[in-house]
Amino acid sequence: MNMEMVKTLIIIIMSSVLVDNYVLSRFLGICPFLGVSKKVNQSVGMGVSVIFVMLVATAVTWPIQAYILNPLKMGYMQTIVFILVIAALVQFIEIFLKKFIPALHKSLGVYLPLITTNCAVLGVTINNITDYGVEDSNAFLFSMVSSLGCGLGFLFAMVLFSGMRSRIEESDVPESFKGLPVTLVAASFISMAFFGFAGIVENLLA
Amino acid sequence: MKKYIKSIISLTVICAVIAALLAVTNSKTAPIIDKNQKAAANKALLEVLPDGGDFTAVDLAKYTLPESVQEAYTASNGGCVVKLTAKGYGPDMIIMCGVDANGVVTGAVCLSSNETLGVEKTYGETTKGATVGSIDDLATVSGATMTTGAYKGAVKDALNTAIILGGGSADIRTEEEILADNLKAVLPIGEGKFTEVFISEKLENVSAIYKSDNDAGYVYVTKVGEEEIFVGVDANGVVVSEVADDVKANIEANAKIMLKSSLKEVDISKYADMPKHIDKAYKTTNGNYVIELHTAGYGINGDKYTSSGEYIYIKVALTDKGEIINCVTVKQSETDGVGSICADKDFSAQYIGKDENTYKEIDTVAGVTLTTKGYQSGIGKAIEAVKIMEGVA
Amino acid sequence: MSKQNNMSILLKGLLRENPVFVLILGTCPTLATTTSVDGALGMGLATMAVLICSNIVISLLRKFIPDTVRIPCYIVVIAGFVTVVQMLIQAFIPDLYETLGVYLALITVNCIILGRAEMFAGKNSVGKSALDGIGMGIGFTIALLAMSTVREVVGAGSFAGNEIPFLVENGLTIGILIKAPGGLMVYGLLIAVVNKITKGKLIKKKEFSCEGCPSASSCHGGCSAEKEDK
Repeated sequence: MNMEMVKTLIIIIMSSVLVDNYVLSRFLGICPFLGVSKKVNQSVGMGVSVIFVMLVATAVTWPIQAYILNPLKMGYMQTIVFILVIAALVQFIEIFLKKFIPALHKSLGVYLPLITTNCAVLGVTINNITDYGVEDSNAFLFSMVSSLGCGLGFLFAMVLFSGMRSRIEESDVPESFKGLPVTLVAASFISMAFFGFAGIVENLLA
Repeated sequence: MKKYIKSIISLTVICAVIAALLAVTNSKTAPIIDKNQKAAANKALLEVLPDGGDFTAVDLAKYTLPESVQEAYTASNGGCVVKLTAKGYGPDMIIMCGVDANGVVTGAVCLSSNETLGVEKTYGETTKGATVGSIDDLATVSGATMTTGAYKGAVKDALNTAIILGGGSADIRTEEEILADNLKAVLPIGEGKFTEVFISEKLENVSAIYKSDNDAGYVYVTKVGEEEIFVGVDANGVVVSEVADDVKANIEANAKIMLKSSLKEVDISKYADMPKHIDKAYKTTNGNYVIELHTAGYGINGDKYTSSGEYIYIKVALTDKGEIINCVTVKQSETDGVGSICADKDFSAQYIGKDENTYKEIDTVAGVTLTTKGYQSGIGKAIEAVKIMEGVA
Repeated sequence: MSKQNNMSILLKGLLRENPVFVLILGTCPTLATTTSVDGALGMGLATMAVLICSNIVISLLRKFIPDTVRIPCYIVVIAGFVTVVQMLIQAFIPDLYETLGVYLALITVNCIILGRAEMFAGKNSVGKSALDGIGMGIGFTIALLAMSTVREVVGAGSFAGNEIPFLVENGLTIGILIKAPGGLMVYGLLIAVVNKITKGKLIKKKEFSCEGCPSASSCHGGCSAEKEDK
């Protein structure tokens, strides 16, 4: 692996964690972000589960697209196949963990069912196909790295936000803003902070 | 068990029905989507070849085309559109150029670039109407010679590509290749490897000298009328290529001067008032001087590091009277596309033939004042250094 | 079945159970596709089409689909309609297809659709399910339009692509509103406005947690864990 390659991979990770953060700039996976991020330990559990599922989902859906759907000229089945694969994967992972790694299942298991309808997972698998294609010899590697980056970005945003949120819960906000509205406004500030990263990544390694 | 089977069957049936529905929809929409995408792709091509009609991509592997060609499309009206790269400053520019059936440029646009001045955004307009015969005469934009020169080169490549696609043959050599071929032709014993020699003596009608890397001889470039001709000279200064007698006599006279010429370093530390930017000075056997110096440009201005923090390094040859024989930029780190014009041969060559009284006549370039002023003051210092060494200061 | 009843099914999606501002569902397209009125309208109508079709089909099949594979069947039906809509848009409105990008495919995981399938269409007659789909779809579209109007007018100084000279010339636009942070901000403020108007009566019982989540019935684990922590 040469320097150029390493550089590309670092840029992919950095930009998917900081600039194009799935939650804060593309709004994928915003439901669990708002729903589960009330406590730090829950956020970590959810985030780790998402990284795990994203990686496995990409590892399975990319070959399906490259070696089954595209040769059969059935690209239009992408959405159906991907979402079914993800749903089945999540079920399978849950059963597997329950049986073989009960400790891990105890800490992550509760978050797994929530992930099936997490648009970030379906989003990342589709985006990888759109962004990196299936022809290029490095496409699979890029897709996996980008999934890792997106998952890390999700975890990062969740953990950051849960810290902020526990303070909001205790503060005195106007009646109409109580609950979700103030949470969204707070999320908007975090998003603004992430917004500033755009220039950094562009120039950091260019 | 029956429950499981029922579950599996119902899920399978639903999947099958939905898949069938999708297949039907796809068969209806796919042709329309194809047409749309083709139209969208055509739209970009039509911009440079407005009457193109339909386009077909060309299989580049089937032809020998200039290296800069990335994609080519033939149009139903007989013209073609070529997408090429051009090396300006910084990353390659991507240029798309349309050529009609008569070999006339119908339009050129720069699709992506990172040039500093931005002339490439408008230069395409001026190439409209150019043909293979006229493209060389098209003016480049002063102060942006490299960018517009590269642009022009790309358009020329596009014109040649059009000829080749039309079944003709065209000279698709790059400038370097043409030079290498010319050198090789007049001095075969040079084995095709040449290095340019810095001309340190006053020569009659010689614009450049190349020395073969194997020391077998030299190639002199001289002008007959408007035409540049290459003359091969062996290691003893005898003309070996076919040229007219008067040219031969002139070149041999010049070669004699050059052969005798050698450089002897002058110890500049013994001259107390030598300008501080002079790095080295040499005296030639014929009494001329070669001075290496550095000067402040935009990269470093006075004591302030404004940009790259690097000086411009210049090598100047002068007569003992301070008249400039030759001048080249050795090294510079000025801003790409702006100050870097000082590396252009055309820019430094302006000073050739100037002296103490006339070197300031060379205009500084608007927008590039710091660099061009700095360059001029460097020339001034070289002249001053000669005066000091000659003891006339 | 009284007429009144049908009317209320249709109308409840508009405000009382507005999927975006009250039930807080489908947040992802709400935030991502409301940078322009055109995109928001397209997304709203596309979602509505999928919602109506999937509601009808799921309601038709509700006696045929076994309970155990209920969710996968719903997902297949929904994803199928999403793909059909996707192909139609790509063929006939290519510009919209470009604007919406991956979010079009992500209608599949829009909680509103799976939520309505699970909570309504799987239990009610075809007619009612269709009405529910129309009502919810209109509610969703109106909400997106409201969001996008605020964002495009204030953020870009235009409405549906038509520039509003007064705002642009006087420099009254706030550019950040059409960027990501602005989406979250406007959404928060609009929910607060709805809260204020309705005096919090609607939202209290649906505060964002498991009750508002359509997957609640299929993820007892996740929700109970959260409740225990409380």
